[in-house]
Amino acid sequence: MLKKFVTVRFVLSICLFFSVLFAGYSIYYKIKYWGFNFAPKQTTDVWTIEAHISFEPTGDPIKISMATPTVSDEYKILDEDAVAPGYKINKDRKNNRVVLSSSPKEGTQNIYYRILVFDNEYGKGKIRSPIRPEVEKPIFDEQRLTVAQELLKLSDRQEGDDVQRIIRLLNQTPPDPTVLAFMPMKKSQKEITEAVSSLLALKNIPTRTARGIKLEENKKSFTPDLMLEAYMNGRWILYNIQTGKKGLPENFVIFQRGGVSLLDVEGGSDSVIKFTVLKSISSSLSLAGPRAKLAEMKNWYDNSIYSLPLMEQNTLKWLMIFPLAILIIVLMRNVVGVVTMGTFTPMLISMSLIKTGFLPGLVCFGIIITLGLALRAVLSKLNLLLVPRISAVVIFVILIMQGLMIMGYRMKFDVASSAAFFPIIIMAWIIERASITWEEDGPVNATREIIFTVLVAIITYFVISSEYIRHIMFAFNELNLVILFIVMLLGTYTGYRLTELRRFAPLVQKKGK
Amino acid sequence: MFGWLKSFASPSSLRAAGVLGMNRRNFNVISKYNNRRLYPLVDDKVQTKKLANKIGINTPGLIGVIEVQNQVQNLLDLVRGYDEFVVKPAHGSGGKGVLVIKSFNEEKFITASGKTLTFNEVYQHISNILSGLYSLGGKYDIALIEELVHFSGMFSEYSYQGVPDVRVIVYKGYPAMAMMRLSTKASGGRANLHQGAVGVGLDITNGKSLEAVMYNKPIKFHPDTQADLSTLNIPFWREHLIIAAKGYEMTGLGYLGADIVLDESRGPMMLELNARPGLAIQIANGKGLALPLKKIDKYYPSGLSPEERVDYVLTHGGSR
Repeated sequence: MLKKFVTVRFVLSICLFFSVLFAGYSIYYKIKYWGFNFAPKQTTDVWTIEAHISFEPTGDPIKISMATPTVSDEYKILDEDAVAPGYKINKDRKNNRVVLSSSPKEGTQNIYYRILVFDNEYGKGKIRSPIRPEVEKPIFDEQRLTVAQELLKLSDRQEGDDVQRIIRLLNQTPPDPTVLAFMPMKKSQKEITEAVSSLLALKNIPTRTARGIKLEENKKSFTPDLMLEAYMNGRWILYNIQTGKKGLPENFVIFQRGGVSLLDVEGGSDSVIKFTVLKSISSSLSLAGPRAKLAEMKNWYDNSIYSLPLMEQNTLKWLMIFPLAILIIVLMRNVVGVVTMGTFTPMLISMSLIKTGFLPGLVCFGIIITLGLALRAVLSKLNLLLVPRISAVVIFVILIMQGLMIMGYRMKFDVASSAAFFPIIIMAWIIERASITWEEDGPVNATREIIFTVLVAIITYFVISSEYIRHIMFAFNELNLVILFIVMLLGTYTGYRLTELRRFAPLVQKKGK
Repeated sequence: MFGWLKSFASPSSLRAAGVLGMNRRNFNVISKYNNRRLYPLVDDKVQTKKLANKIGINTPGLIGVIEVQNQVQNLLDLVRGYDEFVVKPAHGSGGKGVLVIKSFNEEKFITASGKTLTFNEVYQHISNILSGLYSLGGKYDIALIEELVHFSGMFSEYSYQGVPDVRVIVYKGYPAMAMMRLSTKASGGRANLHQGAVGVGLDITNGKSLEAVMYNKPIKFHPDTQADLSTLNIPFWREHLIIAAKGYEMTGLGYLGADIVLDESRGPMMLELNARPGLAIQIANGKGLALPLKKIDKYYPSGLSPEERVDYVLTHGGSR
């Protein structure tokens, strides 16, 4: 017999263990690939980047090719679209370009290309590239070569790695005379980039340029920033061309890399590209789908509750909290040993309290029960049969609720209007049971049962009303499996209940004397 | 500040005292030795009565059974010729729905507590029973009309109104623990300890009082009659135990509570059996139930007849 008992508990413990493992993995998975958070209302910044391309058509067929942000690592693209009436839009995913073409047009052309991106968690600005690119040696005359070598020597006095030293030297203020001999005093980003790459080429370090934009709130009409990428130790590393800072700056989106242009316009002249950035906020949960898609972890997602329509999700969100409430009921009954009216009545009351608000709900509950009991006392004098009697109590409850709502409205007493949220049948049964207990076991027992029922309901309420807990139970619904096995394990709990410690205390205390 | 903590006992001290907790009772005893299939045998008092009479156990005489609403009006025909009767729900528990009529005529019914009821009120009570007000789970029920038990006069000073009965816990056919339940004013004439009845722990080997409690507190005298509870001594103790022990053969339940009442003229009679007897008996006895259960598990022989088992308990029960 003992053996069998051990096995049941053992099997359940194993199940619990595996469910915890599964939940743990699943939580990790959801956080990593779907971007879920433990905190509710966690938001992710979604950036709208708008590229405004304008040019004058020359009368030839138009073909515009623009670089788009690289999808892979730094940023994830939520959505993209182009406002270009009369243009055919093609996407060249392989080269990260969008191509717009049209027949000849007249007048200034304005094309908008919008892209929604979020999240740069993985963007560390380092890209592996096993194949070492060729270094294009710059063509310098002898005098310039000497200056360049002088510069390289000078750069050794600067701090940082090879690339940083050169960048810092060239950006020094006031500029070193040797630098002035190499390039003009007033230099553009582009000129610095070119100078740095040619100097690095002398040191046999391959480089390429990168264009991107820094995401800042409400940034309007700006041109993309230039950055330098140098190939070091098998990977491309980004450098800020002014400060020499290594790595991808925060909130930076790379649009284009290497020699290819940011924008090519055929059949147009005076082309200008300006960017605008807008920040919006979206809940992390709603971005889970796109994230899962991007992480190529969509199989689970499609079969999860988060792929359901929002209305169904909301229903489920409500249901997902039930197991936790049930666990509380089990604990209260089998471990604490509280006697309540009906097993799940406290849970249902606490659910109503959530809808009504805590205090208004309690007040309403109190009024309904008190009035109901008073009416029920009258009823018990009439000696009705059971079913008609309980039906009468149900109607009482409905009438009390109606009265409360009318009174609440007339007297501008908001509290009363929440009365309708209580489950009518449950309320009727509480009244019926309380009144029978009252008659049979006395008012003390009846009141105690009601108080304990409400007490358990309040405890349940405080657990399930927490936004945090509700969010966690919904976002990480595999926890319900863990709860299932905890509840089943509690089914094998043979220890004393808390109330029994008091109930049976006389047995021990007498022994002590 | 933490004075209230003193009213709690530590789990380890309870374990040491062999106290059986509710969870342990349900999981280790009831779910193991009481097959759910057997419950209807004890939950339905009509069945219990039939089974008991079949193997020669005395029960209160059955006057009649009312099964459907329109039979209720035949009540007077049923009880014609009797001076008194008891109405009980067949599936009731804890004395709920029991109505004791001491005397009656066509119009008026006098209850045990002296209240006067009209025929309509009695009619109402029975129809409540039928509609399931007192039955477990609120299912439709039937009402039993039984002869009134005239409990032995020697107990009259120990009880206020109600019938004092002996509750014996029978484990694997062996009487394990016993107590007498005496109704009080506070319990409203009922014999349930939680309603305020007095529980007197009885020595399983001789039926003599061990100690008495009311509302979980030890007492020496009956609160209403002032009778000295320590002198309580149950006659026909062996017969009591044999009736209880036979409950095992009768139902097959490994753990049961037998309620036995001593009738003045007919001797000990089985009132009812309970497949889920409560744990308050431990408080009345001042000792835990786990110890005797363990002893029965370990040392008591199996395969004995009810009489042999009772004799075994009477000779070995007290010693450790």
